[in-house]
Amino acid sequence: MSAKQTRATSGGRIGPLASITTTGTGLAEEIIELGGKGIRNCYQCGTCTAVCPISEASSANFRKTIKYVQLGLDRKLLGDVTPWLCYYCGDCQASCPRQANPSEIMAAVRRYQTGRYDWTGISSRLIRSKKVELLAIGLLFFLTAGVVWLFHGPVVTSAVRLETFAPIGIVEPVGLAAFAILAALLMSNTFRMYRFIKSSNPDQAGAPRRGPISALRETTSILGSYFLTQFPMSECGARRRWVDHVLMVAGYAVSFLLFVVLLRYTLTDQIYPWTNPLVLAGYFSAFALLYGTSISISRRVRGSDTYSRSARHSTDWMFILLLFFTALTGFMVVLFQYLSMPMYAYVTFTLHLSFVVPLLVLEVPFAKWSHLAYRPFAAYFASLRGMKIPRLRERGVSRV
Amino acid sequence: VFNQVLVVGGGIAGIQAALDLAEQDLKVFLVEKTPSIGGKMSQLDKTFPTLDCASCILTPKMVAVSRNKNIELLTYSEVRGISGKAGDFHVTVAKKPRYVNFDACTGCNECVMKCPAKVPDEFNMGLGERKAIYIPFPQAVPRKATIDAEHCWRLTPPEKMRKNALERGITLCGVCARVCPPNAIDFSQKEEVVDLNVSSIVIATGLELEDPRRVPEYGYGKHTNVYTHLEFERLLSSTGPTSGEVLRRSDGRHPKRIAFIQCVCSRDLRANFYCSAFCCMASIRQSMLAKEHLPGVDCSVFYMDIRAFGKGYYQFFKRTEEEYGVKYIRGRVARIEEKPDTKNLMLVYEDTRLGSFVKAEFDMVVLAVGIKPSEISPAIPITVSGSKRLESSLPVTLEVEEDRFVKLVNPYLNPVATSVNGIFVAGVAAGAKDVSDSVMQASAAAMKSSIVAKDAKAP
Repeated sequence: MSAKQTRATSGGRIGPLASITTTGTGLAEEIIELGGKGIRNCYQCGTCTAVCPISEASSANFRKTIKYVQLGLDRKLLGDVTPWLCYYCGDCQASCPRQANPSEIMAAVRRYQTGRYDWTGISSRLIRSKKVELLAIGLLFFLTAGVVWLFHGPVVTSAVRLETFAPIGIVEPVGLAAFAILAALLMSNTFRMYRFIKSSNPDQAGAPRRGPISALRETTSILGSYFLTQFPMSECGARRRWVDHVLMVAGYAVSFLLFVVLLRYTLTDQIYPWTNPLVLAGYFSAFALLYGTSISISRRVRGSDTYSRSARHSTDWMFILLLFFTALTGFMVVLFQYLSMPMYAYVTFTLHLSFVVPLLVLEVPFAKWSHLAYRPFAAYFASLRGMKIPRLRERGVSRV
Repeated sequence: VFNQVLVVGGGIAGIQAALDLAEQDLKVFLVEKTPSIGGKMSQLDKTFPTLDCASCILTPKMVAVSRNKNIELLTYSEVRGISGKAGDFHVTVAKKPRYVNFDACTGCNECVMKCPAKVPDEFNMGLGERKAIYIPFPQAVPRKATIDAEHCWRLTPPEKMRKNALERGITLCGVCARVCPPNAIDFSQKEEVVDLNVSSIVIATGLELEDPRRVPEYGYGKHTNVYTHLEFERLLSSTGPTSGEVLRRSDGRHPKRIAFIQCVCSRDLRANFYCSAFCCMASIRQSMLAKEHLPGVDCSVFYMDIRAFGKGYYQFFKRTEEEYGVKYIRGRVARIEEKPDTKNLMLVYEDTRLGSFVKAEFDMVVLAVGIKPSEISPAIPITVSGSKRLESSLPVTLEVEEDRFVKLVNPYLNPVATSVNGIFVAGVAAGAKDVSDSVMQASAAAMKSSIVAKDAKAP
């Protein structure tokens, strides 16, 4: 970082500016804390909006989102869907004369919104404090390990007997119940997101408002296509990360099917032939998750693009690491099963559960992974309010 | 020493300081690194906000310098070192060889017309050509020819020519020497070093344009019809390469739509942090002149903030908007793409007052490129504020800021005093400013340095 940039970001000469561009609501300070360090550098020139391939194909205006933060308009900010349309390709930072890193500000606003969408208050505590987050993950990790340690079934050492170690009669209902609770939490948070969007975007006279069905069509059955293909990523400069991202999502979805919905067939000691669809699906999800997460981790470590170079927030690291270790231990359980190494299998199975629980309980409804609902729904809600969103049909956005 | 002052830099600030000092019967040495005094102002067509012809107000001052008995003009010269202290500075000045006998040359231009070596013309920002032997511009002071050794076929012959001459045993070029009526050409001239003894010094080294390639999204140097404001100024000027016709580089036609882009390399953390202070007014004036040169032309100025702060400046700005119909668009152009067939330019930007994403076509783009202080380091050793490292071990070391403007030790109450007692600063060397502010600071620096000079005891 050059001396000039240091001066700009560390206050220094533009110190007095700060008191003019913020209103004392603490909103800008909070965004800075959540990673949007360049918020005070921005002089509202609109370069980010003009270079962004997403804003070209939609009514997203990233400059306005930054303005809301600078003006301390927290209700406007909460109801703003724009941050969820940004996939952090970093094109804006390359042209930003103030080096404010608009995409990092968008990421910070997403963290802020995630914290506020959640009505339990857990989310904002997790996101705002690294300590709380580490503590919560550690607690759940050891709690799970302890519960398995105390309540596991009989340990058979002659062969791998996961069915007796973790009886399906207990694991399945517990898993489904947890799933139901977490899904309900996430959906209630998503509903709050809708309320925020609705209250801060009053109907404008003459603005075309769509019914839920037509909005769904408008977005090319948006929930599905945004969720499955994450196609806007393929259309902006985030293309490099798109394949890994799709792999991770697909791997996660397949393993969710296998180990939550179809648990009674997969939590088994029976060794299926490799041609069995369950086995193939299992291999696919293990490969997809391990490949996707290791690439993502190595990118962050090497800092190979603007996205991975920027100051990574703790929730981001925590999520990718939990996902990696969950996939790794899951794969190892199967490995030890093949190799008939019972004690190893039981221990890694316990570890696997201890990673799965914080991943699902914390990340899905409260932290980074909640974007699996917020991103598609933000596009859908935007479409409901008559805003233009990137659509699949507009693939290959023309760039002058 | 007694009653002698050195002025470094022969732009408008240096000229003003030298004249004010000479008026007080002080002996002034005015050192200028190019062949003529006049500086950047000599390249301007008009001034703001009065639209005075720039050369009409500058040239009399230049001539006054050359006529003043108290001023010794050292053009094509560089300060190589300074030592001593206030009241007794020892200065080494190198006079670069002009390869022309200064006293004999009459400025008749005969050599220039016959010289076969053509070079892009610095005075016209490379838009025209000059010869290897040249007088920089018609009003140059002193009006003496200079050979640009780097491009002269005699002094630095191209490789092919040198071989050819060797093989055939013929002498190299030398046309100028043959045609010169007073026989003033002297290829054997060497650099001459003079030692001066002065009691105070005024630094007025001025500015350079920042390289617009530092903002790659505007494609300067790649897109034919993207200009810097100083290039456009030369197009507007009747002494320019097109005699005041605004013509496109690509097809020689009049543009119908001109875009002016502000803050290029200024207020940009990728280039310069600071505001260059004059570009807003320069573009406002240029848009008005473009409207006068080309009736019906569409002028759009892209800005973030219009800084029209001086006396009469804001009225001037409003006049271009209301009377001349210049469009002001708040938003920074994010990128420029050239259309391959017409060489027109597509500008992509957000009109931030409407919040709308726009792509618009223009025939010509003028970049209001920011400035940086001229390098004074080889002339005077400098140290950057805050750093302990000295750039030279010479006794006199001038402190400059991180952005290389000379540090003012008392910017409020003595806005010409530098870190060295007896050395004063004026013009853009001390910070970005326009012509009138430079002149003002130059007079102040002349006053302060005359006090030091008059206090100095005769040895």
